[in-house]
Amino acid sequence: MVTSFFDQFSSPLFMGIPLMALALLLPWILLPTPSSRWLNNRLLTLQNWFLGMFTRQLLLPINHPGHKWALILASLMIFLLSLNLLGLLPYTFTPTTQLSINLGFAVPLWLATVLIGLRNQPNLSLAHLLPEGTPLLLIPILIIIETISLMIRPLALGVRLTANLTAGHLLIQLISTGLFVLLSLQPAVAILTGALLLMLSLLEVAVAIIQAYVFVLLLSLYLQENV
Amino acid sequence: MPQLNPAPWFTILVFSWAIFLTILPLKVGAHTFPNEPTLQSTDTPKTESWTWPW
Repeated sequence: MVTSFFDQFSSPLFMGIPLMALALLLPWILLPTPSSRWLNNRLLTLQNWFLGMFTRQLLLPINHPGHKWALILASLMIFLLSLNLLGLLPYTFTPTTQLSINLGFAVPLWLATVLIGLRNQPNLSLAHLLPEGTPLLLIPILIIIETISLMIRPLALGVRLTANLTAGHLLIQLISTGLFVLLSLQPAVAILTGALLLMLSLLEVAVAIIQAYVFVLLLSLYLQENV
Repeated sequence: MPQLNPAPWFTILVFSWAIFLTILPLKVGAHTFPNEPTLQSTDTPKTESWTWPW
Protein backbone atom coordinates (compact mmCIF):
# COMPACT_ATOMS: atom_id res chain seq x y z
CA MET A 1 0.00 0.00 0.00
CA VAL A 2 1.46 3.34 -1.01
CA THR A 3 1.06 6.00 1.64
CA SER A 4 -0.14 9.30 0.30
CA PHE A 5 -0.23 12.68 1.93
CA PHE A 6 -3.97 12.31 2.48
CA ASP A 7 -3.49 9.46 4.91
CA GLN A 8 -3.23 11.86 7.82
CA PHE A 9 -6.96 12.50 7.44
CA SER A 10 -8.24 8.92 7.50
CA SER A 11 -9.57 8.10 10.92
CA PRO A 12 -6.58 6.51 12.61
CA LEU A 13 -6.49 4.19 15.58
CA PHE A 14 -4.15 4.39 18.53
CA MET A 15 -3.94 1.17 20.53
CA GLY A 16 -7.35 0.29 19.15
CA ILE A 17 -9.04 3.52 20.27
CA PRO A 18 -10.11 5.69 17.36
CA LEU A 19 -8.22 8.95 17.59
CA MET A 20 -11.40 10.77 16.69
CA ALA A 21 -12.90 9.74 20.02
CA LEU A 22 -9.84 10.92 21.93
CA ALA A 23 -9.73 14.20 20.00
CA LEU A 24 -13.38 14.80 20.80
CA LEU A 25 -13.23 13.82 24.47
CA LEU A 26 -9.98 15.25 25.78
CA PRO A 27 -9.94 18.99 24.85
CA TRP A 28 -12.58 19.82 27.44
CA ILE A 29 -10.10 19.06 30.20
CA LEU A 30 -8.55 22.40 29.26
CA LEU A 31 -11.83 24.18 30.01
CA PRO A 32 -12.51 24.02 33.74
CA THR A 33 -16.15 24.20 34.78
CA PRO A 34 -16.74 27.22 36.97
CA SER A 35 -18.16 26.47 40.40
CA SER A 36 -20.05 28.77 42.73
CA ARG A 37 -16.70 29.97 44.03
CA TRP A 38 -16.56 33.73 43.74
CA LEU A 39 -12.85 34.16 43.00
CA ASN A 40 -11.57 32.16 40.07
CA ASN A 41 -8.08 31.37 38.94
CA ARG A 42 -6.46 33.06 35.98
CA LEU A 43 -7.39 30.44 33.40
CA LEU A 44 -11.04 30.50 34.33
CA THR A 45 -11.13 34.29 34.45
CA LEU A 46 -9.62 34.51 30.98
CA GLN A 47 -12.09 32.01 29.55
CA ASN A 48 -14.97 33.75 31.28
CA TRP A 49 -13.93 37.11 29.86
CA PHE A 50 -13.56 35.70 26.36
CA LEU A 51 -16.88 33.89 26.48
CA GLY A 52 -18.77 36.95 27.73
CA MET A 53 -17.18 39.26 25.20
CA PHE A 54 -17.77 36.86 22.34
CA THR A 55 -21.41 36.13 23.18
CA ARG A 56 -22.23 39.80 23.65
CA GLN A 57 -20.60 40.68 20.32
CA LEU A 58 -22.31 37.83 18.48
CA LEU A 59 -25.78 38.58 19.79
CA LEU A 60 -25.62 42.33 19.09
CA PRO A 61 -27.35 42.21 15.68
CA ILE A 62 -29.84 39.47 16.56
CA ASN A 63 -33.39 40.22 17.64
CA HIS A 64 -34.58 39.32 21.10
CA PRO A 65 -36.19 35.94 20.19
CA GLY A 66 -32.87 34.82 18.78
CA HIS A 67 -31.11 35.25 22.10
CA LYS A 68 -32.22 31.74 23.03
CA TRP A 69 -29.46 30.57 20.73
CA ALA A 70 -26.74 32.17 22.87
CA LEU A 71 -25.70 28.96 24.63
CA ILE A 72 -25.61 26.81 21.53
CA LEU A 73 -23.68 29.36 19.48
CA ALA A 74 -21.18 30.02 22.27
CA SER A 75 -20.57 26.31 22.86
CA LEU A 76 -20.21 25.76 19.11
CA MET A 77 -17.55 28.47 18.99
CA ILE A 78 -15.63 26.97 21.91
CA PHE A 79 -15.98 23.51 20.34
CA LEU A 80 -14.62 24.51 16.92
CA LEU A 81 -11.95 26.83 18.30
CA SER A 82 -10.52 24.18 20.64
CA LEU A 83 -10.58 21.44 18.01
CA ASN A 84 -8.96 23.65 15.37
CA LEU A 85 -6.21 25.00 17.59
CA LEU A 86 -5.33 21.71 19.27
CA GLY A 87 -5.11 20.06 15.85
CA LEU A 88 -2.13 22.24 14.99
CA LEU A 89 0.03 20.52 17.59
CA PRO A 90 2.18 17.67 16.25
CA TYR A 91 0.75 14.19 16.33
CA THR A 92 -2.78 15.36 17.08
CA PHE A 93 -5.85 14.56 15.07
CA THR A 94 -8.15 17.36 13.95
CA PRO A 95 -11.77 16.21 13.87
CA THR A 96 -12.80 19.32 11.94
CA THR A 97 -10.88 18.11 8.89
CA GLN A 98 -13.55 15.45 8.54
CA LEU A 99 -16.54 16.30 6.37
CA SER A 100 -18.67 14.10 8.61
CA ILE A 101 -18.34 16.39 11.61
CA ASN A 102 -18.54 19.68 9.71
CA LEU A 103 -21.55 18.73 7.61
CA GLY A 104 -23.04 17.04 10.64
CA PHE A 105 -23.03 20.38 12.43
CA ALA A 106 -23.72 22.67 9.50
CA VAL A 107 -26.79 20.93 8.06
CA PRO A 108 -28.87 20.50 11.25
CA LEU A 109 -28.11 23.97 12.58
CA TRP A 110 -28.83 25.68 9.25
CA LEU A 111 -32.00 23.62 8.86
CA ALA A 112 -33.04 24.67 12.35
CA THR A 113 -32.74 28.35 11.43
CA VAL A 114 -34.73 27.84 8.22
CA LEU A 115 -37.47 25.87 9.92
CA ILE A 116 -37.75 28.39 12.75
CA GLY A 117 -38.18 31.13 10.17
CA LEU A 118 -40.73 29.22 8.12
CA ARG A 119 -42.72 28.26 11.18
CA ASN A 120 -42.86 31.55 13.07
CA GLN A 121 -42.85 34.10 10.27
CA PRO A 122 -43.35 32.30 6.93
CA ASN A 123 -44.04 35.42 4.89
CA LEU A 124 -40.89 37.18 6.05
CA SER A 125 -38.73 34.09 5.51
CA LEU A 126 -40.03 33.53 2.00
CA ALA A 127 -39.65 37.23 1.27
CA HIS A 128 -35.90 36.84 1.68
CA LEU A 129 -35.93 34.93 -1.59
CA LEU A 130 -36.64 38.09 -3.58
CA PRO A 131 -34.42 41.15 -3.19
CA GLU A 132 -36.19 44.48 -3.16
CA GLY A 133 -36.48 46.40 -6.39
CA THR A 134 -35.98 43.61 -8.90
CA PRO A 135 -37.50 44.19 -12.35
CA LEU A 136 -40.73 42.27 -12.95
CA LEU A 137 -39.33 40.01 -15.68
CA LEU A 138 -36.40 38.86 -13.55
CA ILE A 139 -38.52 37.73 -10.60
CA PRO A 140 -38.92 34.01 -11.50
CA ILE A 141 -35.26 33.55 -12.31
CA LEU A 142 -34.17 35.39 -9.21
CA ILE A 143 -36.37 33.29 -6.93
CA ILE A 144 -34.82 30.15 -8.39
CA ILE A 145 -31.33 31.56 -7.90
CA GLU A 146 -32.03 32.65 -4.34
CA THR A 147 -33.51 29.23 -3.50
CA ILE A 148 -30.42 27.52 -4.85
CA SER A 149 -28.20 29.84 -2.84
CA LEU A 150 -30.26 29.08 0.26
CA MET A 151 -29.88 25.32 -0.28
CA ILE A 152 -26.15 25.61 -0.85
CA ARG A 153 -25.53 27.35 2.48
CA PRO A 154 -25.08 24.26 4.69
CA LEU A 155 -22.82 22.62 2.11
CA ALA A 156 -20.73 25.76 1.86
CA LEU A 157 -20.59 26.08 5.63
CA GLY A 158 -19.35 22.54 6.15
CA VAL A 159 -17.04 22.31 3.18
CA ARG A 160 -15.48 25.73 3.90
CA LEU A 161 -14.29 24.61 7.32
CA THR A 162 -13.16 21.19 6.05
CA ALA A 163 -11.31 22.54 3.06
CA ASN A 164 -9.54 25.33 4.94
CA LEU A 165 -8.27 23.07 7.68
CA THR A 166 -7.42 20.18 5.38
CA ALA A 167 -5.51 22.46 3.02
CA GLY A 168 -3.60 23.98 5.91
CA HIS A 169 -2.58 20.64 7.37
CA LEU A 170 -1.64 19.34 3.95
CA LEU A 171 0.55 22.38 3.25
CA ILE A 172 2.30 21.99 6.57
CA GLN A 173 2.99 18.35 5.86
CA LEU A 174 4.21 19.01 2.31
CA ILE A 175 6.54 21.84 3.25
CA SER A 176 7.95 20.04 6.25
CA THR A 177 8.62 16.97 4.10
CA GLY A 178 10.40 19.20 1.60
CA LEU A 179 12.39 20.82 4.39
CA PHE A 180 13.41 17.44 5.77
CA VAL A 181 14.62 16.24 2.38
CA LEU A 182 16.42 19.49 1.60
CA LEU A 183 18.33 19.55 4.87
CA SER A 184 20.91 17.08 3.61
CA LEU A 185 20.99 18.27 0.00
CA GLN A 186 20.85 22.08 0.02
CA PRO A 187 20.96 23.51 3.55
CA ALA A 188 20.62 27.13 2.40
CA VAL A 189 17.34 26.45 0.62
CA ALA A 190 16.31 24.41 3.63
CA ILE A 191 16.69 27.46 5.88
CA LEU A 192 14.42 29.47 3.59
CA THR A 193 11.91 26.63 3.58
CA GLY A 194 12.09 26.60 7.35
CA ALA A 195 11.23 30.29 7.47
CA LEU A 196 8.32 29.59 5.13
CA LEU A 197 7.15 26.78 7.39
CA LEU A 198 7.27 29.08 10.41
CA MET A 199 5.16 31.71 8.69
CA LEU A 200 2.76 29.04 7.45
CA SER A 201 2.28 27.75 10.98
CA LEU A 202 1.38 31.25 12.15
CA LEU A 203 -1.05 31.53 9.26
CA GLU A 204 -2.61 28.23 10.24
CA VAL A 205 -3.16 29.44 13.80
CA ALA A 206 -4.94 32.49 12.40
CA VAL A 207 -6.95 30.37 9.96
CA ALA A 208 -8.00 28.02 12.74
CA ILE A 209 -9.38 30.88 14.81
CA ILE A 210 -10.95 32.72 11.87
CA GLN A 211 -12.65 29.68 10.37
CA ALA A 212 -14.27 28.75 13.68
CA TYR A 213 -15.49 32.33 14.01
CA VAL A 214 -16.79 32.49 10.44
CA PHE A 215 -18.77 29.28 10.93
CA VAL A 216 -20.53 30.62 14.01
CA LEU A 217 -20.94 34.10 12.55
CA LEU A 218 -22.63 32.84 9.40
CA LEU A 219 -24.96 30.70 11.46
CA SER A 220 -25.88 33.73 13.52
CA LEU A 221 -26.53 35.60 10.28
CA TYR A 222 -28.87 32.88 9.06
CA LEU A 223 -30.57 33.04 12.44
CA GLN A 224 -30.89 36.81 12.16
CA GLU A 225 -32.72 36.49 8.89
CA ASN A 226 -35.23 34.07 10.27
CA VAL A 227 -35.97 35.35 13.74
CA MET B 1 -9.84 11.23 -0.28
CA PRO B 2 -10.29 9.53 3.07
CA GLN B 3 -12.76 12.10 4.31
CA LEU B 4 -15.28 10.83 1.80
CA ASN B 5 -15.21 7.31 3.16
CA PRO B 6 -18.79 6.85 4.41
CA ALA B 7 -18.01 4.05 6.85
CA PRO B 8 -17.63 5.85 10.17
CA TRP B 9 -19.78 8.84 9.28
CA PHE B 10 -22.79 7.95 11.40
CA THR B 11 -20.74 6.98 14.43
CA ILE B 12 -18.76 10.18 14.19
CA LEU B 13 -21.95 12.21 13.82
CA VAL B 14 -23.61 10.64 16.85
CA PHE B 15 -20.48 10.87 18.98
CA SER B 16 -19.68 14.48 18.16
CA TRP B 17 -23.27 15.63 18.72
CA ALA B 18 -23.37 13.72 22.00
CA ILE B 19 -20.28 15.61 23.17
CA PHE B 20 -21.66 18.89 21.83
CA LEU B 21 -25.01 18.49 23.57
CA THR B 22 -23.82 17.18 26.92
CA ILE B 23 -20.33 18.24 27.93
CA LEU B 24 -20.09 21.63 26.26
CA PRO B 25 -23.29 23.34 27.45
CA LEU B 26 -22.50 22.25 30.99
CA LYS B 27 -19.08 23.84 30.85
CA VAL B 28 -20.12 26.93 28.91
CA GLY B 29 -23.40 27.47 30.74
CA ALA B 30 -21.72 27.37 34.14
CA HIS B 31 -19.94 30.62 33.33
CA THR B 32 -21.75 33.41 35.12
CA PHE B 33 -21.29 37.14 34.91
CA PRO B 34 -22.21 38.44 38.34
CA ASN B 35 -21.16 42.06 37.77
CA GLU B 36 -23.94 43.78 35.90
CA PRO B 37 -22.70 46.55 33.59
CA THR B 38 -23.81 49.97 34.85
CA LEU B 39 -26.73 51.34 32.90
CA GLN B 40 -26.39 54.83 31.60
CA SER B 41 -28.97 56.73 33.59
CA THR B 42 -30.96 59.32 31.68
CA ASP B 43 -31.29 61.70 34.60
CA THR B 44 -28.14 63.75 35.04
CA PRO B 45 -27.50 64.72 38.64
CA LYS B 46 -28.29 68.31 39.43
CA THR B 47 -25.07 70.23 39.71
CA GLU B 48 -24.48 73.56 41.34
CA SER B 49 -22.80 76.25 39.32
CA TRP B 50 -19.13 76.23 40.03
CA THR B 51 -17.63 79.55 40.79
CA TRP B 52 -13.93 79.54 40.26
CA PRO B 53 -12.22 81.01 43.26
CA TRP B 54 -9.84 83.22 41.27
